[in-house]
Amino acid sequence: MFRVRFHGRGGQGVKTASRVLGTALFHAGFEVQDAPRYGAERRGAPIFAYVRADRQPIFERGVIVRPDLVVVVDDTLLTLPAAAVLQGIAPHTLLLVHSAQPAEALRAKLKAPGQLVTIAPREVAATGLQPQGAMMTVGAAARLLGVVPRQALESAAGEELAALPAKLRQRSLALTLDGFDGVEAPGGPVRELPAEPAEDYDRPRWIALPFEDARIASPTIYGAGTSMLSKTGLWRVQRPVIDRERCRRCVWVCGTYCPDNAIAADAGGYPVIDYDHCKGCMICLVNCPSHAIAAVVESQAREAAAAGDAP
Amino acid sequence: MSETRFKALKDLPAQHLLLPGTPMCPGCGGLEVVKQVYDVLGENTVFVNAAGCLTLLATYPFTPFRGSWIYTAMASAPAGAQGIRDALDILIAKGRLPPAQNLDVVVLSGDGAAYGMGLGPTSAAIDRGLDFYYLCYDNEGYGNTGQQTSAATPAGARTATDHGPVGFAGEKKDLFSIWVAHHPPYVATITSADPVDLARKVETARGHAGPKLFIALAQCPTGWHYDPKDTVQMGRLAVATGIWPLKAYAGGRVTHTRRPKPKGERPPVEEYLRAQGRFDHLFSPTRNEEALARIQARVDAYWDAAE
Ligand SMILES: Cc1ncc(C[n+]2csc(CCOP(=O)(O)OP(=O)(O)O)c2C)c(N)n1
Ligand code: SF4
Ligand code: SF4
Ligand code: SF4
Ligand SMILES: [Mg+2]
Repeated sequence: MFRVRFHGRGGQGVKTASRVLGTALFHAGFEVQDAPRYGAERRGAPIFAYVRADRQPIFERGVIVRPDLVVVVDDTLLTLPAAAVLQGIAPHTLLLVHSAQPAEALRAKLKAPGQLVTIAPREVAATGLQPQGAMMTVGAAARLLGVVPRQALESAAGEELAALPAKLRQRSLALTLDGFDGVEAPGGPVRELPAEPAEDYDRPRWIALPFEDARIASPTIYGAGTSMLSKTGLWRVQRPVIDRERCRRCVWVCGTYCPDNAIAADAGGYPVIDYDHCKGCMICLVNCPSHAIAAVVESQAREAAAAGDAP
Repeated sequence: MSETRFKALKDLPAQHLLLPGTPMCPGCGGLEVVKQVYDVLGENTVFVNAAGCLTLLATYPFTPFRGSWIYTAMASAPAGAQGIRDALDILIAKGRLPPAQNLDVVVLSGDGAAYGMGLGPTSAAIDRGLDFYYLCYDNEGYGNTGQQTSAATPAGARTATDHGPVGFAGEKKDLFSIWVAHHPPYVATITSADPVDLARKVETARGHAGPKLFIALAQCPTGWHYDPKDTVQMGRLAVATGIWPLKAYAGGRVTHTRRPKPKGERPPVEEYLRAQGRFDHLFSPTRNEEALARIQARVDAYWDAAE
């Protein structure tokens, strides 16, 4: 059985990509499960999707914890522990990463035990969500599985992208096939592990909840402002950075327009951005009258911060 | 409104009540509106949220509010508000709640609910003179379920259900006039791109007992297909081109609180449409002159009549 796990951000087309792969495998004669997994989070939030494919009925269910192929549409997730991209990878796991970084360097950095293949982004997309990357990456993923004919991929992509406007559909289709044609795995195609016998399954770690009175069992929140515990800063692909030299301390501008209330004034009247929660929409940047806010690529800002430099 | 405490951005509350960490999209115009309105209403509020994008605001166990919030079915927020208002009034009458701890009841509703299946219940709540605020954040579609066409979708917009060559073939419903026809104490349109106008209106509404209703433009980068950074610009363009009139109804009269420049001097609606992917098909592969002229003519006719 092939177990494929996709990682990306909301808005990057990861759900569509996983569907294309699932449908392509189906056209290639496989039994398929494909499911995107996301909660209430939206654009920019780390999300994942998974596909299982086998030549016989699939009895395995749930999240894939031991993947054969991990497809990473956005390489900024690699260094984000919360995205859990490397969860459960084994020596046989192939990592396919949509990234401009050299494969060997990435592999060393991540200490990946198995093969790592990159597919280079087509556009220089220093910022933003790069929604086209998913299509190229899914094409490459189909190729790396070694069992999906080009024709099956093409018709699957045609079906799954049917609702897109014509120009975008054609472009996405072309990128999917480019991905298929443009990838090589020196170490050979993805190796599948046999389906596990049911008796070897991990028992679900369920917690038994007794039936309670509605006053207890209903989802009532008693705390105020508990959303602070939700670190939406993880969604950010760009970081707004304030230049204090230029800032004229008019926090009523950036502070009023920030939809997420992620800007507050410090004692000196300077705006301070709450990076735990700022989603990187850049509304503050375009509305700052003094052009005091710059956009920095988040992954670079994070690496610089980790290396001890100021962002 | 001459004695308003809000004359410029600088006068707006510096401390914002709505806390961060919500699951709304980056650059969500609806979230920006709620944040600004909440700042003027203050902490003593209880929100009654009809199913839609903003119901995700309080996804168990997280809430960005400092006080209570309750979720209702799409059409039922006015009924929910009635129940809460009655309960508060009874508690106060029985001496079980000090009047100082009274709360303002605020309905949060998407356009799908407000213009559509929630319209009847809203009408009935106005008829009953329910003392509440009603905030419709209008992202012009069923956003939470993937931007299907709603009764608030504007002419020509592409949605998940109208993705043919002309987009949505109908016209946006005039909810403002429908509400005004009930003669409630206060009705206004607002946009978070004009926070001062918004704050003044919410402040004015506070002086009225009974139903106080708002329709807010809720720029939606996800459903309208534009870069999240441009949310404020999109609101400003909507006002400058005249497609989103800022107005208020009180004391039997409708007043325009901001006027776009006269015809010929104001930017064509096209500038607003072209900035959003949902109107792409009106410009390429060929310009749909007929549709563009029709949309412009409607806006011009509105302002001709309003002059
Ligand atoms: C009676 C009913 N029908 C359908 C739904 C599914 N549903 C949940 S949110 C939503 C969209 C609501 O649109 P709108 O009111 O405009 O709010 P938005 O999602 O745009 O914020 C729909 C259709 C529902 N919750 N209840
Ligand atoms: S809007 Fe710009 S200049 Fe004004 S406080 Fe914010 S960052 Fe500083
Ligand atoms: S980018 Fe600016 S406006 Fe957007 S969430 Fe961050 S601080 Fe707020
Ligand atoms: S879909 Fe639109 S209205 Fe809904 S959360 Fe996203 S930006 Fe806001
Ligand atoms: Mg809506």
